Amino acid sequence: MLLHYFDLSWRSFKRTPLVSSLMVLAIAIGIGVTMTSLSVYHMMASDPIPSKSSQLFSVQLQIMDDGNTWWTKDNLPLQLTYKDATNLYRANTEGKRLSMLRSGFSIYTDSDTVKPFSKSARMTTPEFFDMFQLEFLYGNKWSQQQEENAAPVVVISEELNERLFAGENSVGNIIYLDNESYEVIGVTKNWPLVVKYYDLNNGAFNEPESMFLPFSLVEARELGNWGNTNGWKHEDVRSFKAKLQSEMVWVQFWVQLNNAKQKQDYETFLMAYMEEQQKRGRFNRKELIYSLRDVNQWMEYNNVISEDNKILVALSFMFLAVCLANILGLLLAKFLRRAPEVGVRRALGASKRQIFLQHLVEVAMLGCFGGLIGIVLAQLGLWGVRQSYDYYSSIATMDITMLLSAPIIAITTCILAGLYPAWLVCKTNPAIYLKSQ
Amino acid sequence: MLKMNNISKIYQTEMVQTHALQDFSLQVDEGEFIAVTGPSGSGKTTFLNIAGMLEPFSEGEYLLDGIDVGKLNDNQRADVRNQKIGFIFQGFNLIPDLNLYENIEVPLRYRGIKAAERKRRIEQCLEQVGLASRAKHLPQQLSGGQQQRVAIARALAGEPRFLLADEPTGNLDSLMARQVMELLEQINRDGATIVMVTHDPELARRAPRNIQVVDGQLADFTLYQGAQNLKNVAGA
Repeated sequence: MLLHYFDLSWRSFKRTPLVSSLMVLAIAIGIGVTMTSLSVYHMMASDPIPSKSSQLFSVQLQIMDDGNTWWTKDNLPLQLTYKDATNLYRANTEGKRLSMLRSGFSIYTDSDTVKPFSKSARMTTPEFFDMFQLEFLYGNKWSQQQEENAAPVVVISEELNERLFAGENSVGNIIYLDNESYEVIGVTKNWPLVVKYYDLNNGAFNEPESMFLPFSLVEARELGNWGNTNGWKHEDVRSFKAKLQSEMVWVQFWVQLNNAKQKQDYETFLMAYMEEQQKRGRFNRKELIYSLRDVNQWMEYNNVISEDNKILVALSFMFLAVCLANILGLLLAKFLRRAPEVGVRRALGASKRQIFLQHLVEVAMLGCFGGLIGIVLAQLGLWGVRQSYDYYSSIATMDITMLLSAPIIAITTCILAGLYPAWLVCKTNPAIYLKSQ
Repeated sequence: MLKMNNISKIYQTEMVQTHALQDFSLQVDEGEFIAVTGPSGSGKTTFLNIAGMLEPFSEGEYLLDGIDVGKLNDNQRADVRNQKIGFIFQGFNLIPDLNLYENIEVPLRYRGIKAAERKRRIEQCLEQVGLASRAKHLPQQLSGGQQQRVAIARALAGEPRFLLADEPTGNLDSLMARQVMELLEQINRDGATIVMVTHDPELARRAPRNIQVVDGQLADFTLYQGAQNLKNVAGA
């Protein structure tokens, strides 16, 4: 019977092509607008590393003396001082951890076909690759010993390898970063990251860096920070060495804690560390505070999805509601015009339920058509967003979840809009129309 | 087959109560052919709508084939209507988008009959009304008489025991009216019970039993012996 209802719906579509097309267009526009904003929201909100997002924690310490304030909602600085990061990294604790910051270089090679250019780089400890699940195309990460010795080695991304070495295995080759030579020891596979969750200070939707170097090089070669450096009190910082010893925060620190026990132990350790630092004259405050936030908490804390995004999604759904209100009116007109036919069907044995279902199938079919065209419109909308704002290029896309959601949302909302007209037509008194036809 | 006891139908508006039927009692036996006559607005169509369960009644009791119609809900009424009753309307009431085959198929689909059986019945009914070659035609491609024959075929396809006809020849010229009437008589001879509302006294006289409705009440009852004899002869 359901197939028969689809057949009747298609005939009805063909019988009133203009009204039906108008309805489909209204649904398509509503779905197109809604899916454009919803797709962006969905990509922003999606878990970037679902397999271990609850095991990776960003570490924050309240280093400021009492009476000082920060702009975050809990008054905690987002980064650590160099000495805290170094101390925490060297501490004998369970679980992987890493220190890192964003830097950058001008790059050139021995090839005269590649012009010099500048690129940002991530100065980090070798745990970075395991903790954030980067895979290698060629070679590998640097060793712990190379980290300690500030070895001049570099891991480059697949994209940079393509640009510098035409995609060949470049392990063992030399590249020049700010006139210093570095040996390529690894090439990472493309890292499709929608939200750059590991460094939200420098643009949540920026591309990941394409070079990774030992963190120890920062001190050894006095490398500049391409990210944020913030202070909270007056310090006479006139040299790089002074900066390393200062209370300025500029290093990001993450730990991987695989279970509740590890987390609890680490919290105890952090408290003990701060107490010990307090004895050395730092952390001049009554209450010692730290924070461990996992990936999703970190994204929420940093307002990756702003209120504006939420309002935009709400507005787009309101626009869809307006479209549906129009459809409701058109459906009412279309269905009630068909009341005489419904009267005949009722006289011939159709129950109200069957008439109701027949009309809901018709509405669902309109919703399906609208949803499919809506996907095309949403793709156009997302393309427009990508063209307008390069920053959103990684998130202005529609993944398979959103692709499947579009027709489901269209059909569901259309059925909601069609409930009243379908109910109205199924409860018409057939006797009225049988005589008057 | 049909038994109505003291049926009343009141149409209520804010200002006025209209008694379309009052204390209307009638018994129709299996195999009868009844013509219902009466002036316009007398309640003939209301009676037919109640008999066909298209309208509820206000008071009284209505038994159709032993089923107390007053106790049925909407879905049950639809089922009984579909199983036991065939309708023929003055305006044919064919669905314009469906061809003849599909029009006749409508009640069979609601009954849940399988496609092969539907096909058999439709072809048989189209044959019976002499339109087998027009199965793929749309209603508007046929004359009024042919459309009414399709409506009769649609009513017959469900193999109903009870046929309700509301002015079945009202929109037809006399020749076509006669043909349709002959078809109804044949259907009655085949065993179906027929109740026909008509304005036409000539057609009414051809029915074995006549009832007249005036002001919502049964006014007169006449048995036309000649017609009855005709039926008996055919039956023999």
